[in-house]
Amino acid sequence: MPLDTSAYSLALLRVDGRRWNELRRVHAQIRTQAAADGSSYLEMGHTKVMCVVNGPSEPGPRRGTAGGGGGGGGPGGVAEVAVSVVVAGFSSVDRKRRGRGDKRTLELQTTISNALAASLHTHLYPHSTISISLHVLSQDGSLLAALINAATLACVDAGIPMTDYVVACTAGSTSTYAANDETADPLLDLNHQEEQELPSLTVATLGETDRVAVLVCESRVQASRLEGMLAVGVSGCHQVREILDQVVRDKGRHMIKEGTVEKGMGVEEMEVD
Amino acid sequence: MATTTSQQVLLCPAELAYLHSSLSLTPPIRPDGRTPTHFRPLVAETDILPGTNGSARICFADGTEAIVGVKAEVEKTRGVEEGVEESEVREDEKEGRSEWVELTVEIPGVRDDDGGTAFLSAMLGEALLSDGGFVKRLWINRRWHWKLYLDILLISPPLSYPLPLLSLTTHLALLATRLPRLKSEGVEDPFFDDDWAAAPYLYPRDKKSGKALARPPVTLLVMAVGRNIIFDPAKEELAVADVALAVSVGEAAETGDNDMGGKGRKLRLLSVRTIDPPSRVTPPGVPNATNAAYGAAGTTQKQPEARMAEAEAVEGVWRAPRGGAKPLVMAALVQKTLERGGVADEVLDALEGVDLG
Repeated sequence: MPLDTSAYSLALLRVDGRRWNELRRVHAQIRTQAAADGSSYLEMGHTKVMCVVNGPSEPGPRRGTAGGGGGGGGPGGVAEVAVSVVVAGFSSVDRKRRGRGDKRTLELQTTISNALAASLHTHLYPHSTISISLHVLSQDGSLLAALINAATLACVDAGIPMTDYVVACTAGSTSTYAANDETADPLLDLNHQEEQELPSLTVATLGETDRVAVLVCESRVQASRLEGMLAVGVSGCHQVREILDQVVRDKGRHMIKEGTVEKGMGVEEMEVD
Repeated sequence: MATTTSQQVLLCPAELAYLHSSLSLTPPIRPDGRTPTHFRPLVAETDILPGTNGSARICFADGTEAIVGVKAEVEKTRGVEEGVEESEVREDEKEGRSEWVELTVEIPGVRDDDGGTAFLSAMLGEALLSDGGFVKRLWINRRWHWKLYLDILLISPPLSYPLPLLSLTTHLALLATRLPRLKSEGVEDPFFDDDWAAAPYLYPRDKKSGKALARPPVTLLVMAVGRNIIFDPAKEELAVADVALAVSVGEAAETGDNDMGGKGRKLRLLSVRTIDPPSRVTPPGVPNATNAAYGAAGTTQKQPEARMAEAEAVEGVWRAPRGGAKPLVMAALVQKTLERGGVADEVLDALEGVDLG
């Protein structure tokens, strides 16, 4: 079904009733699974992903790298971040099965792996592997962004030291490339329908800074519009960071209240209600 | 036979011998203090994904977790000649084919074409299809049918043999599956009601109690150590199993109109598969009598273990079980599963208790 972009200019409302700078509902949980070192569940609108982190641990015998002798791990004595993305057959509207060798899935994996490897303190874990497995349960646009956010949360849960959250968000533009509309407004957090029609990019930043960790743009867009889209995307990332940080803090507070963890140093100042 | 060797348990021969002997006591003492027929507690929920026809999620107490999503598509039945008009549809004309169901299992960190995964999906599919009534439910009319895609995801790393978990999750997902209500009649092209609230369940429910009238099968894992039969083994227990069986159990079709909700659940054995337990690849222990470290004479050769494998069994020294299961043990395993008030009965009762949407 083609997206009716002409209606936007009338009321400045998008197909799902949001304004240009509004995120969809973001709902996240951490520590959803007892058997893993870290786990999370994230919903961005109707996009639902689950993440399970194991490690840092010695890589299993199967994954022995060609180097041999010195065990696994990435080059230069840092931990290897191994990401596997499983897109469930039932996740999209029409059932479509993606094999493990699917090129799109491979690209998602590499992007996430590189982004996280830059933020995680992998040099603390030489000869080890951090294996992150992501499961896509439902897709409605902004898939890469949701995967990055879920992976970040799970890494926080696993207690792997990292510089800051890697938070991601998508941004787009209100009119298509072909329309060549100079007055097009930027849009935040696109859903599947918008993503199909409009130029869009995924941007991930390092926490609340303006440092961009990932920038993926797979559609044609005029260079003049790019700056606006990027600015909106980065501000969206800051909003996402707030939300994720709140989730982590709530869980921490909950765990202290339940007595699962000891109140650590510096927690005294934190309000535990 | 499936191999479960991918889940190596790091136990030394002495620990294995200890586990084996405590499990072969009467009554057996299990590492987690359960009775032989006690299932591990689990958390289950259904209808978690609105984008599917039916979905379920189960978390076992050991932390393993699975999600199953069911999606249905309308498909034209192959090999049916066009133009034959027939207004009357007889009940016995309904037929089903096994290719109307497609089942895939995803296990993280395991290749798609891994033998173990293929065996798992074959085993789960076999249980479903051996109950011929299941594919009949997918029949729409002579020319059309539903194609059902079952996607089974193991979310957690495979800690223990995931067969019971996947089977129970599939069971719940199928119970929660709804297909749009058919509006068209006869052999015309199917036309459906777009009101999801009116969609009937694949497994019809009782109007008043909301309980399903028929239920999909479940596959349970049973193992034997010595003369003891142990249900729902944890991975440490599986590491010392003499025999491990996957037993698929379905509910027999109710004949006649016996009183509803009575104790009359009739169980039917659908299939039995032997599972190759990981105990077969465990290293054997070395008795003191032949251990050079304990001053045994004449044991200076390179591999004492290799020689040990051929020697007599010594009490308290671990030896990997070899050979097949005794027919008597097999019969007991199956009987114990099926008996009234037995484990299969209990599991089906417990699953009935899960609130289905």
